Amino acid sequence: MSDAAGGVRGRDFTGYRIAGALSALLFLVLLAWQIVFMLGGGDTVTPEVAWSSAATEGPDTPGARTGGGTLVAETLTARTRLQDERFRTGPSAEGDVPERALDPGTRLTTAPLEDGSSLTAAWAVPDDDSAAMMHESGRVEGRSSLPYANAALFERPFARDWRIGMSDVITHMGALAILGMAFLLSAVLALRGRVPIRRGKSGRTVKRFGFLERATHWLTAISFLGLSFTGLAIAYGETLFVPLGARAMGTLGWWSTWGHVLFAPTFFLGILIMAVMWTAKNLPSRLDAQWLAQGGGFFSDDGPHPPARKFNAGQKLIFWSAILGGLVMVLTGVTLMFPFYWLDLGGMSWAMLIHAAIAVLLIAVFLAHIYIGSVGMHGAVHAMWSGRVDRNWAAEHHDLWLKENASDTEGAR
Amino acid sequence: MARAKFLCDAERCIECNACATACKNEHEVPWGLVRRRVVTLNDGEPGEKSIATSCMHCTDAPCVSVCPTSTLYQTDIGIVLHDKDTCIGCGYCFYACPFGAPQFPKSTLFGSRGKMDKCTYCAGGPEEDHSEAEYRKYGTNRIAEGKLPICAEVCSTRALLAGDGETIGEIYRERVVHRGFGSGAWGWNTAYYPGDAG
Repeated sequence: MSDAAGGVRGRDFTGYRIAGALSALLFLVLLAWQIVFMLGGGDTVTPEVAWSSAATEGPDTPGARTGGGTLVAETLTARTRLQDERFRTGPSAEGDVPERALDPGTRLTTAPLEDGSSLTAAWAVPDDDSAAMMHESGRVEGRSSLPYANAALFERPFARDWRIGMSDVITHMGALAILGMAFLLSAVLALRGRVPIRRGKSGRTVKRFGFLERATHWLTAISFLGLSFTGLAIAYGETLFVPLGARAMGTLGWWSTWGHVLFAPTFFLGILIMAVMWTAKNLPSRLDAQWLAQGGGFFSDDGPHPPARKFNAGQKLIFWSAILGGLVMVLTGVTLMFPFYWLDLGGMSWAMLIHAAIAVLLIAVFLAHIYIGSVGMHGAVHAMWSGRVDRNWAAEHHDLWLKENASDTEGAR
Repeated sequence: MARAKFLCDAERCIECNACATACKNEHEVPWGLVRRRVVTLNDGEPGEKSIATSCMHCTDAPCVSVCPTSTLYQTDIGIVLHDKDTCIGCGYCFYACPFGAPQFPKSTLFGSRGKMDKCTYCAGGPEEDHSEAEYRKYGTNRIAEGKLPICAEVCSTRALLAGDGETIGEIYRERVVHRGFGSGAWGWNTAYYPGDAG
């Protein structure tokens, strides 16, 4: 298609736009589900199983329930009484059989409990006597004669805040960020269509990425995907996979924790090579401000496309997210792989929070990268696949690079 | 309804570590792990105190909340149990625990963690009561026999109390009144009354 015909426009990619609209709808539903899930009450822990006593032998049928929770409470409370002063209870807990001791044929056993929320609510309120005798809450660490890491710790109330940070803040915000980004990208595809090659494909290509560049990119990309999927399985497994069965999640999660560790070294290698290879070309320049001010020409087919060298400001941002975000991930991840190697439990808790928070952000950011490199922009995927891009694509998106590159080639000849 | 708790009377604990030893022996806790331990505060100084600690079986337990595989669960008397078959060794419970209770055997050179292990309040696990599998993974199940945790029942000074929270509270308060002093129920605020934790 020529300039005279008005050029290729993003809205011409009808099939892509329909797919975009459908996935936007899908992600909107997921987003709504996530918001309902998030606002749908706290995640207070409630008991899931109840004790009862059951006869295992004797005249009753084995396994038949002979008493409910009251009998359990009476039995255990009577036993608790044996720890009272010795002048009352004798020298040994085994000395006298307590009144409510179980006969040898009876066992206390557990069965699923429908709704234990009232129990948690009742437990959380201290009576006056208990409130009066409580030692105040606070971090307490002493010494221990046991040769284990962390053995000297008695109490760290921060852990309760960690739980809020992890299961309430990061998990929910991360789901919002990832689903929100997926929704926005789908909506852009539906409304705007693909970023077109305005003058159409020329049929002549120019070399953009060499073999080493592409190999490094895909090494890092595959590692990142592996880390993302295994990480998401661990972080969101309870919501996504436990409905399939706790056992299935156990197996999946076990492989995920292993896989997560296995993908890490290749990811680290990838970002190291990328840092060496691409840092010089990704230093900020004055062109970037102009590129960002014009939104990279992303939202409109009209008007001049901002000039760019080999990497435009958007790509530079992606590069630095990969390098800096990746380094934080590797640093915190390796810290967590070797507990107590250089951080104590408090430090490791922060490392875990940072690891999770940066992880969900990186996944959201790289969703955008994957989008723009594949369906989002016509002709972009070839840069990293065959390494050669169409000349018209290069002229529109990386005009300065194309000029330099073309003159280099001519000079070499 | 009984609410199972632990209370360590810091004025009575003499750091004999009998609780830790009895626990290791009773459950054949693997090498490198310890379900109960004694922490000494102000060691060698005036006001020295020792407190035996383990999993406290918290109310609204953070470990249960953060577990990504629903490995951890709570019973109606407050005991927090775990299922080693579904544990993936992610370590979330370890960061969320206010008492440093969950522990992981080192399973490889590269720091990957094995299945989490912690105090079961001598109540075994999800396996059939007193089965071989239950003993191998979680140790003995004394609660099924109507008995209380071995650490408390073995305590020679009766510093460590286990069982119904109200009853051990009464026993402790009576002691404090009788002797005229007591530093309080250590860890109870954080463990059992999260709403009031401050």
